[in-house]
Amino acid sequence: MKKTKRIFPKKIGLSTWSKQFEEIPDETIKRHKYYNNSEWGIYLSPPATFMVYGARELQRLRFDNSIEALRMWGFVFNETERLFRARQINRKIIATTGDLGTVPVLVLSFPDCVPFYPECLWWTPFFKESTDLLDTASKLGLPEATCFSRVVASAFYKRSYFPKPDLIIGSTGASCDDYSCVMQVVENMGYDIMWVEIPFRRSPDFLLNKPRQQELEKTQLGFFYPKIIEDYLTREYQRIWQALFKLTGVNNPHRLVETIEKVNHLRNLVAEIKKLNADAEVAPLPALELMTIEFGNLYGYADFDEWLEIVKMIHNMVKRRVEKGIGVLKKDAIPIAWITPSADPYLLNLVEDLGCRVVDSEYVINQAMIQIEEKIEPMRALARSFINASLIGSPEERVKNIKGKIAKKLIKGVLITNMLGASHCSMETRIIERLLGDVPTLSIDVPAPFGITQQIKTRLEAFVETIK
Amino acid sequence: MELTGLVGYTCSYIPVELLSATGLRPYRLLHGDINLSQKGEQLVRVDACPLVKSNLGFILENQKNFACIIGSTGCDMSRRMIEVVRFMTDIPVYLFNNPRTENFEIYANEIDLLVKELEQYFRRRFDKGVIQKECERWEKARQRLREIDARRRANPSTLSTKTFHGMVRYFHQGEIENITSEIPQEMSYKPRVYLLGSPLSYEAGPIIDLIEQRLRICGDFSCGLSRGIYIKVREKTLDGLKQSYFHQPPCIFRRPNKKYYEWVEKDVKETKSTGIIAIVLDYCDNFDFELLSMEKGLTLPILKLKSDFSYQNLSQLKVRIDAFIEVLGSYRGGIV
Repeated sequence: MKKTKRIFPKKIGLSTWSKQFEEIPDETIKRHKYYNNSEWGIYLSPPATFMVYGARELQRLRFDNSIEALRMWGFVFNETERLFRARQINRKIIATTGDLGTVPVLVLSFPDCVPFYPECLWWTPFFKESTDLLDTASKLGLPEATCFSRVVASAFYKRSYFPKPDLIIGSTGASCDDYSCVMQVVENMGYDIMWVEIPFRRSPDFLLNKPRQQELEKTQLGFFYPKIIEDYLTREYQRIWQALFKLTGVNNPHRLVETIEKVNHLRNLVAEIKKLNADAEVAPLPALELMTIEFGNLYGYADFDEWLEIVKMIHNMVKRRVEKGIGVLKKDAIPIAWITPSADPYLLNLVEDLGCRVVDSEYVINQAMIQIEEKIEPMRALARSFINASLIGSPEERVKNIKGKIAKKLIKGVLITNMLGASHCSMETRIIERLLGDVPTLSIDVPAPFGITQQIKTRLEAFVETIK
Repeated sequence: MELTGLVGYTCSYIPVELLSATGLRPYRLLHGDINLSQKGEQLVRVDACPLVKSNLGFILENQKNFACIIGSTGCDMSRRMIEVVRFMTDIPVYLFNNPRTENFEIYANEIDLLVKELEQYFRRRFDKGVIQKECERWEKARQRLREIDARRRANPSTLSTKTFHGMVRYFHQGEIENITSEIPQEMSYKPRVYLLGSPLSYEAGPIIDLIEQRLRICGDFSCGLSRGIYIKVREKTLDGLKQSYFHQPPCIFRRPNKKYYEWVEKDVKETKSTGIIAIVLDYCDNFDFELLSMEKGLTLPILKLKSDFSYQNLSQLKVRIDAFIEVLGSYRGGIV
């Protein structure tokens, strides 16, 4: 059996990965499989495999060199295959859209149901360095000045990125309008969508009168809201539960309790990884891997149990690195916060190459990062957890944590990545800049694939210089 | 026009009767002016909706005139405008959860909460008598405007949309007593078109003028024009208000939005329109996304005009309108 050589943490490119992959024993490769199927479930392969299948940007990206990170990337890039495989083995494919984090908890409580977020395809044009999906969206009438999540309409139109879902749950309301319009275009194509209402949180700032204390509830992130908002969401989740019961013929509320425990376990691990990463003297994990891990909280990349195992493994690795004081960036890397996720993964590499280190993030998925209460009625617990959502409240609530860390001098700069024309970016960014004015703030529009020009690099360099 | 004691609001699903019951003047935020828009750009990015930017500019210039502003989640950017208003001014704001889905239960609940908030804030009781009086008052104004609009929709049309736009403005700005009774005779045999798209602003005169030089707009589905007056409050009670406002001509932002297309298709037939003009504001997601569906769904030729209120492109718009007239001509002649 080949003995795995001790590897010092660093970021490596594709070719180095391929060489290093040869060192990995066959048993390790065979051990990791999705859907627990050893016949066709193996996903541990070098990123070069996916580059050959079209993810050309992998040639430019640099990754964490750990086996744990490789396992994660193999699993993440394997999702499309996994979804089609799920269809072959008669699992129900449930497209959950728009709420980013809570509806999958309901779906996972039903046997053989696989939730996935089509909007996570927004990275695809960048990983593939291809504008094909974006061009198709234009042909479907979607304006170019809008969120990159418009590629979801192209994916539904092309039918080659995921099997036709057995159920599509479209969350709309106090959420991003770009995406609500994308889903309406999908419905116009003939797909049936179960629309679900997302209410605005309506903290006391958005009431005319000072509310009585007993009329208010408080979320884990410290946001106050009228109790009625919980009722709205609880009823919507009961509606979803009934739809899943009708689809599967199974109605076992106790499974929801178990699922919540499992989801909380994952969220807890990820919260610890984020904290370890932020507090460590040397950054143990690159920002690109960390962002990918955070988004795993949404639905576990279509195999929740295997994703949980992957995150456990990464958590142990990060702990080991922190204990040894080793990591992937320089010790003097400048701590910054990142607001709104970047559709182009290359930007996360670039910012670190320029000397920064991401110690906090607000990737519009606050609702997927916190614990779901386990001692109250599960549907209401889900509603209460979703009410922490990033996009259903004000910009001040969104950046409250980051503002606190700036005040403690833990964050030296803030990077806001926007999409031109995206409804919440255009309205929130200037306010967020004013709110976080104590430190240098840079707001850039993520360009389409191939669009990271020298001009953006220069702006980033100037930003880093300013912070220094 | 004297601007004091205003209750600003942003959406057709917010019952104007309830705002009027406060004793103040309901004022629909529908401004679309390039100077106001540039003032609004101090607070939001340039790729925000021009209507939102203009309204922000207007609010900044008239802060002391607003007793409060009621926003809704009907459109994401307009909802976030309320967040900017709260962050940048001292104007009290309230955000109304306007369900996008067929969820009447949430809507009815939210109306009750809005009534409670207004009653408490303005120290007034909205009892049955108050509600009935306001319902009658505003229904009478809508009925009056529907009668005027019937002239515009008639065949041949005897009222221009330019004039009608000036009249309906009184409704949106809460001055229903100023709705005139003298209606000019503006007979026209020009080709009949139907207008839809982003809300038409108070300052939309120039673009309506340009269109009506050679066409006659004889019907519309626009928040700045007639959409609001086709809310018919039959039962003059709070429940009556809830039902009629919830089932008003459906916003394109409802999910699903089939009913919007059904309503427009029916209305286009009723007005015997031969073409459709869609005026879409820059970065206005809801209409920008739907133009292709409109072309497929609505059988008539559609002219899409983009605007950011700068009207610098009026001459280009004129050329395009002229070309559209030729299309209408050949369409009517059965060539297309």
